[in-house]
Amino acid sequence: MKELILTLQKEIIVPVEMDKVLPEVIEKMSLEEIKNIELVQGRKRVKLDDIFDVELNDIEGEPRVVIKNSNQKLKYIGSKMTKGEVIVEGDAGMYVGAEMKGGKIVVNGNADSWAGQNMKGGELLIKGDARDYVGSAYRGDWRGMSGGTIIVEGNAGNEIGEFMRKGVIHIKGDVGIMAGIHQNGGMIIIDGNADVRVGGEMKAGAIIVYGKVEEVLPSFKFEGIVENPIIKLSKKDEGTPVTGTFYKFIGDYVNRKPKGQLYISVDSNPDLI
Amino acid sequence: MEYIIKNGIVYDPLNGINGEKMDICVKDGKIVESVSDKAKVIDASGCVVMPGGVDSHSHVAGAKVNVGRMFRPEDSKMEIFAKKGLRTGTGFSVPSTYKTGYQYCEMGYTTVIEAAMPPLIARHTHEEFLETPQIDKAAMPLFGNNWMVLEYLKEGDIKACAAYVAWMLKATKGFAIKIVNPGGTEAWGWGKNVHSLDDPVPYFDITPREIVRGLAEVNELLGLPHSIHVHPNNLGHPGNWETTLETMKCVEGIKAKPKVGERETVYYNTHCQFHSYGGTSWKDFESKALEIAEYVNKSKHAVIDVGQVTLDETTTMTADGPMEYDLHMTNGLKWANCDVELETGSGVVPFIYSPKGPVYSVQWAIGLELFLYTNTDKVMLTTDHPNAGPFTRYPRVIAWLMSKKYRDEWLYNKVHKWAQQRSHVADADKEYDLYEIAKITRANQAKVLGLSETKGHLGVGAEADIAIYEIDPEEKDGKKIEKAFRYAKYVLKGGEVVVKDGNVVKEMFGDTIYLDVQVGEELMKEVLKDVEEKFRRYYSVNLDNYPVSEEYAHSWRPIKIDATDIN
Repeated sequence: MKELILTLQKEIIVPVEMDKVLPEVIEKMSLEEIKNIELVQGRKRVKLDDIFDVELNDIEGEPRVVIKNSNQKLKYIGSKMTKGEVIVEGDAGMYVGAEMKGGKIVVNGNADSWAGQNMKGGELLIKGDARDYVGSAYRGDWRGMSGGTIIVEGNAGNEIGEFMRKGVIHIKGDVGIMAGIHQNGGMIIIDGNADVRVGGEMKAGAIIVYGKVEEVLPSFKFEGIVENPIIKLSKKDEGTPVTGTFYKFIGDYVNRKPKGQLYISVDSNPDLI
Repeated sequence: MEYIIKNGIVYDPLNGINGEKMDICVKDGKIVESVSDKAKVIDASGCVVMPGGVDSHSHVAGAKVNVGRMFRPEDSKMEIFAKKGLRTGTGFSVPSTYKTGYQYCEMGYTTVIEAAMPPLIARHTHEEFLETPQIDKAAMPLFGNNWMVLEYLKEGDIKACAAYVAWMLKATKGFAIKIVNPGGTEAWGWGKNVHSLDDPVPYFDITPREIVRGLAEVNELLGLPHSIHVHPNNLGHPGNWETTLETMKCVEGIKAKPKVGERETVYYNTHCQFHSYGGTSWKDFESKALEIAEYVNKSKHAVIDVGQVTLDETTTMTADGPMEYDLHMTNGLKWANCDVELETGSGVVPFIYSPKGPVYSVQWAIGLELFLYTNTDKVMLTTDHPNAGPFTRYPRVIAWLMSKKYRDEWLYNKVHKWAQQRSHVADADKEYDLYEIAKITRANQAKVLGLSETKGHLGVGAEADIAIYEIDPEEKDGKKIEKAFRYAKYVLKGGEVVVKDGNVVKEMFGDTIYLDVQVGEELMKEVLKDVEEKFRRYYSVNLDNYPVSEEYAHSWRPIKIDATDIN
């Protein structure tokens, strides 16, 4: 299989959309064809080798795209990809892994907003921080992330997992306000602290916060303290075991008959109740 | 510029031409008897030639369309229009203005009537008209919940009401009297609705029956080209067919007296599909389209447009505020609501008509039933764009009508079985021919709108708005029919070729048609006193700032009506 190594030649000012450079696309192309892929840059079109040094190798296993010297001007990296691997050496711009269906993206740096927007499957690993709307729905849409896994090793911004329906978002650092807003399924795990309004207007799914929580919305109902719970997202769900002692809340009762589960660590929040 | 369209098969119902092979000559924007040798030849062999399409009911411009655009960015993403030399546009169910104009034109439509203009926000509608290319436009201001109208009709002062309507049509550059949920939207200001024709409106204590009947009388007293354009009460509620029939019956006996045009009817029931529901709840929901069609067929005073559900994800928008609230409570999706001071209100909610949904399938079947069982002189094709589906689906509706095979493919394979069980669409063997298609897409509209002098036909003297479709008149393949009507081979607008092979080749801006009605001066003075009083006491704007001013005059085409005999 093929490995495409792209090295950004110099700083660019106008962002470039990278949605045409996917593992499954380059798999069938020659080096010459790859160099001539047209990318949208602002209101113009550029060829891939106008802004990147292009190198194509044969490797074992799945096709792979490596973007070196990357920065946040490169948008839509791995957008709609279905297989293979994309490795970003540096930062990724907005919409990394948007609508991805399969394969794996690794960002060895920070990611801008909307990482994994409307994601359907696959795995998105961000080793640095991510900004707002990780794993959210498209602006205005009520049908959000429907599968796959997003892992952010650093912190994340506001409104992560907005309108999420399925899949897992795991933030190892802290998150901003309104994590899991309008959540309708799936699981959000936050290892660090969470700012206000966690789970606002959520209908289903689960949010687990290990760190400190600023407040719990008054429209959540306290269910008691649970130890090492097994979290079931539906009746047929076998459940995901979680270790620790948590306050369990159900909400958000601004909706009718909500099934959203909110688990907040007792150890980090001894004075919450 | 001269053109001669040769060897096309012509369908022109207003002149009784049914599939004759003949040449059409065009000179200086009009259809003429003959042209010189220098005329450019358009070869239409193997094609059919029809007058440019006329859409009598479509929400294409104005405040609530724009609310739809603003609060549905996800719709914007669904369809992108980008062609070289043309303005780009986005939106599937609520397209931007340029996309709207281009796409109507691609389908051979050349005239479109905006179905609901809140008078206070008329400027917005006209502002968007300025940016909508390729088509002639007109807008119908809303009167059915207007305080002044309610008060005049309550007092029984038809003449004063007529003068007020005349003033309003001129002030807002409006085209006809639109009535939406008469009394119901006003009741929504009190958090209520009206549920039958004799349910009184809070405070005003007037019934929808009095409003509809009164405005129909006003309409004929003034002699407007179009009749009253009515969206009756109880839209979208199971069992509403009785209200619909009663509303149609309540204007019986009023005579059509248009001072312009050849209209014979006094009542236009829009999106009739939404008003032909039987049953008492969504569980025993069923079609009553046959009953409605039977009544329309036998009565001389009424016509309908269908509002065919196309089974797409779309955006509903109407001045029927309470109905949009009901819809929002049903599907739980986002909702916008607006109150327009003394005049009307509105609501917007996204809606997904899934073919798998039993209710949606019956709605789909009801629309088709209305087409298949109503006299083709009395029915018109609309999807109430974008309420039941976007206008770009008209070709698909045409394909369902022309080919039973294609219709059955949907009926038995794609939609829920309720469509077979709870409607009569499966029993209908009727297949539309192109003559009937020409009726329901242009001729009927032109006639009922009172524009048939120059629009909707191909006789000498008509405007050279012509659509040429590459289709065999005997074609039964649904996909081919759809493609032929979606992308016209040629479209002429005002005597110029604007579409070739489905692509817009020339951008031009059509006219905005409005009514300039003169009533007796003394009467107008009296009524203006009342208007001034209302503005002083209740309106948030000054009277001088209210009328649509000359800055919006792009290509205004007034229809002058002399009603000075009303004193």
